[in-house]
Amino acid sequence: MTTTANPASGQLNSLDPITLALFQNRLDYIAKQMGWVMTRTARSPIFNQSHDFSCFLADGNGRLVSQADGIPIHTGGGGFAVRAVLAAFGDDISPGDVFILSDPYEAGGNHLPDWVIARPVFVDGERVAFACNRAHQSDIGGGAAGTYNSSATDIFQEGIRLPAMRLIERDQLRDDLWQLLLLNSRTPHYLDGDLRAMIGSTRMGAEMIAERVGSLGLEAGAAYMDGIMDHADVRFRQAVSALPDGTYHGEDGFDDDCFEPMDIPIKVSITVKGDRMTVDWTGSGPQIKGFKNSSLANTFSAVYTALSSFFDADMPRNEGTFRCVDIIAPKGTIVNSNPPAPVTMCTVFPSHQMIQACWRALAQMDSERACAGWGPNAYPTSAGTDEHGRTYVVYHWGGNSGAGAVNGRDGFNQIGPMITFGGLVLPNAEMQEQLFPVRVIRQEFRLDGGGAGQYRGGTGVEYEVEHFDAAHYSFRAEGVREERGYGVNGGANGKRATVGIADTREQDATPSDYGPTPTYGVHAYPPGRLKVVSSGGGGWGNPYDRDARLVARDVQDGLVSVDDARDLYGVELTPKLAVDETQTATRRTRMSQAAHKSN
Amino acid sequence: MSTQTSEDESGTQLHDLRIGADVGGTFTDLIISIGGASLHVAKVPSVPEDPGVGVMNALAAAANDLGVSTGKLLSACTLFVHGSTVATNTVLERKGATVGLLTTMGFRDTLEVRRGIRDNPWDHRAPYAPVLVPRYLRLPLAGRLDKSGNEIEPPDSQSLHQAMAEFKAHGVDSIAVSLFNSYADSAHEAFYASALSRVGDDDPTARAWVSLSHDVAPLLGEYERTATTVLNAYIAPRTVGYLTSLDNQLRELGLTQPMLLIQNNGGCVSASQVAHKPATLLLSGPAAGVGALEIARGAVASGNLLSLEIGGTSADVMLMEAGRVPVSDQLSVGGYDTALPSVDIHTIGAGGGTIAKVDEAGLLLVGPEGAGARPGPAAYGLGGTEPTVTDALLILGRLKPGPYAGGSVVLDEHKARDAIETRVARPLNLSVEEAAVGIVRLLEQNLLQAVEQMTLERGLDPRRFTLVPAGGAGPMHGAAIGRQLGCPALYVPRLSGAFCALGMLNTDVRHDLMRTFFHPLPEAFAQGLEAVFAELAHQAETLLGADGFGAGSRRVEYELDLRYIGQQWSIRVQTSPGDSEDTIRMRFEQVHESRYRHIQPDGIIEVTAAYVIGYGIIDKLRLARHPENLAPPRPVATRKLYMDAEHGWVEADIYDGDGLGEGTALSGPAIIEERTTTICIAPGDTLNVDRLGNYQVTLGRKSTS
Repeated sequence: MTTTANPASGQLNSLDPITLALFQNRLDYIAKQMGWVMTRTARSPIFNQSHDFSCFLADGNGRLVSQADGIPIHTGGGGFAVRAVLAAFGDDISPGDVFILSDPYEAGGNHLPDWVIARPVFVDGERVAFACNRAHQSDIGGGAAGTYNSSATDIFQEGIRLPAMRLIERDQLRDDLWQLLLLNSRTPHYLDGDLRAMIGSTRMGAEMIAERVGSLGLEAGAAYMDGIMDHADVRFRQAVSALPDGTYHGEDGFDDDCFEPMDIPIKVSITVKGDRMTVDWTGSGPQIKGFKNSSLANTFSAVYTALSSFFDADMPRNEGTFRCVDIIAPKGTIVNSNPPAPVTMCTVFPSHQMIQACWRALAQMDSERACAGWGPNAYPTSAGTDEHGRTYVVYHWGGNSGAGAVNGRDGFNQIGPMITFGGLVLPNAEMQEQLFPVRVIRQEFRLDGGGAGQYRGGTGVEYEVEHFDAAHYSFRAEGVREERGYGVNGGANGKRATVGIADTREQDATPSDYGPTPTYGVHAYPPGRLKVVSSGGGGWGNPYDRDARLVARDVQDGLVSVDDARDLYGVELTPKLAVDETQTATRRTRMSQAAHKSN
Repeated sequence: MSTQTSEDESGTQLHDLRIGADVGGTFTDLIISIGGASLHVAKVPSVPEDPGVGVMNALAAAANDLGVSTGKLLSACTLFVHGSTVATNTVLERKGATVGLLTTMGFRDTLEVRRGIRDNPWDHRAPYAPVLVPRYLRLPLAGRLDKSGNEIEPPDSQSLHQAMAEFKAHGVDSIAVSLFNSYADSAHEAFYASALSRVGDDDPTARAWVSLSHDVAPLLGEYERTATTVLNAYIAPRTVGYLTSLDNQLRELGLTQPMLLIQNNGGCVSASQVAHKPATLLLSGPAAGVGALEIARGAVASGNLLSLEIGGTSADVMLMEAGRVPVSDQLSVGGYDTALPSVDIHTIGAGGGTIAKVDEAGLLLVGPEGAGARPGPAAYGLGGTEPTVTDALLILGRLKPGPYAGGSVVLDEHKARDAIETRVARPLNLSVEEAAVGIVRLLEQNLLQAVEQMTLERGLDPRRFTLVPAGGAGPMHGAAIGRQLGCPALYVPRLSGAFCALGMLNTDVRHDLMRTFFHPLPEAFAQGLEAVFAELAHQAETLLGADGFGAGSRRVEYELDLRYIGQQWSIRVQTSPGDSEDTIRMRFEQVHESRYRHIQPDGIIEVTAAYVIGYGIIDKLRLARHPENLAPPRPVATRKLYMDAEHGWVEADIYDGDGLGEGTALSGPAIIEERTTTICIAPGDTLNVDRLGNYQVTLGRKSTS
């Protein structure tokens, strides 16, 4: 699978730079406003608390021109979705139509829970754009409440599959279809409100695009959309050109296939030649039994996310950006599975692993920009039925992991999943207690969880929550057997995660009452306590180079033990936890010399 | 508050004398009105190390202008209102207290996790603003409440004593207490507050400031409540110390009235009542725009106003709909989140000093970075080499070379031209003029979008609003932006440059009280909603009474936060104690429909919080008529300038604002040079000077081409 280059040299120069700047600025604003409307009106906590959605704009041919709103791992999937609508409906697309789709194999989706609403925009009878919203629904049927069926062995167990369909036909909602969708969800009360919010956001976006393209004129509108992509193309080529030519390898992986322990490699080779780049996944393991396979749209998104995050934050992110990038994803592998392999976990795992594999290859080209690994998440979701007979699903975001360090900053001790870079906001524990039959006991940083380094990895947390009722837990734990928050440039790995559930009906749990807990699968538990010790992030740079005062502060803060301070950082502390300058200098010199000798 | 009359030795009537003092980062503005008859403005440099000195200097300058002593001025003063950046600067410069935070066991890190909120996820390399309380000073207390406020585990003063020993060892001088679920019941926080007050008097740590979360921000959500309480604790010693000392100084000099302060909510509060909650002063200054809009409202019948105040590096947008300025519970300062009732002010990085650049691939970008006061725009000649909006305006003729900003700098056109030529025009293969046009158009689109967002997010149509461009730079862009928004008219205050200080003279005292109250609407009444309202109203009345407002000069309003079950963001709806469930539902649906373009006909609505707002009414400022125009307006010059995309370059008449009296009527293209601003109108626009001397501009239609 290869994208082809389409260099538009010269065309950019024929456009008015002022109009181009105004147009790009306006489209980004429109996408952001769509996101705002969505946040304010959506019903399920996934959207209104955690922003697990993206609003994006495509041109009339389905090429992504703006995705100023939304979570990083949705980057790049937009074009796939709109092109699926075009493939299915061709010329049979009219003003007032709205389309919906989700299927990763048939309709350019990334995984089944992410539903895309695509609204064509017409000016003077011509289709000029699509205003779209991709959002993770609260429930879509399938084998487990809350969309994550970690027992699934094929896609049919993951929920309803939506091909590209017309949901609204010339402003008339297809009510029979609407009822079909609601009937296939355990949470129709959320789905109804959320779909309305999605449709509302695209209506507003479409009106705003039509207004701007209308004032520019059809021909100019199309030319400037091309111009936005051409500009991104030039920006990214410049960044690629600055990297040394060559082929570089990176690897991450899984410890199991969701059912049995096994090593599943996720391997990438990145070749840079001049201003072009090839990202080749050949060598990655075959597709697996469980739902950690990736769809093609998602694999493209993961590559785009890895590349964008490696460079400056103001790098444009539209379809032009990655014109110079060829992606090779062999069919039948974990990064491009064949139907009917299950894929629901893919936006998280293996996206996390694919991004890290790319980062490890990129680190060899520019070590200053190297990103240490983030702790992958290990917490399950728990689902039950409330007193009104409604299904609830608790996402235990309070058990999120620590981030990897980069040059100049320590890893965040706790933050949302890496695939969102913190775009997913963690809920207040007080709100969790209001919404669900749980009591949050603890959510505090780990001791010695973060990888040592000149910049320390994030610590991860200890999270404990009491469930008053029996519940079904859907497990999807990574980083339990291996340390996955890798260190870079001499930094150490972050620590592994543990997950456990203890029965607390009769008496308080002791540590030995927790676990061993399965890493994947759906299992029922009586009322009791869930305990997650989340993964730490990796460190950046040699720990001996860390400012000794910062090490002392970490010890004082209870994030690093006195032993680790001495053994890993070479910092000796006084009984009052101040730096013992002389002893520290001696120890650090000795440790450096020892390291030097052993090389 | 009553008005009074005094007379000085020379017989000058000092009737209804009001003073507004706005301490900004660069200048301290003082504005005085006497019987509404005359407005005096004094502008002196701010003294950041001791902002009170700036206030005293400005007072002395004003008194000197009026030919009286400072003491005379103050003793005649019936209303002294102060807006100050002292709270904000304490945060931005991180000069606050050493704070100790006491939390529930298991939640020491709530403050530092910050719910993982990142402004721009793609910018993952940027660190957070440093946490205000290090982990070793975030210590646990015993006790736990459930989500309804019932006790699961009792508090224990032993845990407090252990924490206090740590605090003492580290010189903590301000303590924040934020316990889990304390929004539902304050008993445990009250227990520890009382225990704190009993710690020995000889212990200096025991005399530390104490901020309690149920008092500062009694809302659901441990992160926002804790963050607000910590910020309060952080700024309290410095801010309250400053205010107390200034208040004392003013009283010693003769001020008989309590000094009032502008709060985040756009209302005033007395220095003594704000002492326990100084975090309500984080917006003190900009929030006075509410009072200024109140004045503008007198001249604009609809009461629908959008203010756009543009300064050197940022622009503030505020909205007034039918005379009301919306207040929300969100405010972020320097990367620190708070949840206190605050006027909705949308701020973007766009002003005269905003920098333009071209990226490596040839795209023009304007802002958000600014050149600051130093080196400032290239045209200042103070060493700036990056082109800014001010440089572009100079090239386009909207500004003229020579003395600028009250003579504090001199604009050099050659330097502006060089900067734009090198950094923008040449890379884009444009002329300097074309490049300058691009810079200004992109800036104006950013400003336009900032204003549009304010209306769009409330489901309002900007075409029903009058734009109020203010600040030194606002009136230069007002006509272009207003026309693109479809606003029919502009209202430009003659004292645009002292917009907020003027507002201070016209601001009611305001107390916001809230209670988290989680019940579906049908059950809210049975669950005691009316009792909650009554209790909050009683508190509001008590506070107002303490400030000297009698029954005839206070007003109480009631509001509810409502949402459909499952939504996270509530809509604030006005109500009154007698309203039925149906009335409340209807109001909610009206707002939901207009804002989000849909309702859920049978959706369950839930109440999430009850609010009571108490106002102490200050007599409205009655401004006197401006002198009438005696002769037809005469331009002092003409200048070629770039107007906008539609009109291009035009020859415009230049007028001196001092010569334009009431009744003056002008047509664009024209420039009016005022003492604190420059107004720019296009062909087809007409400008009239109203009876108060302010400028009312009717905008010509945007051509359809």
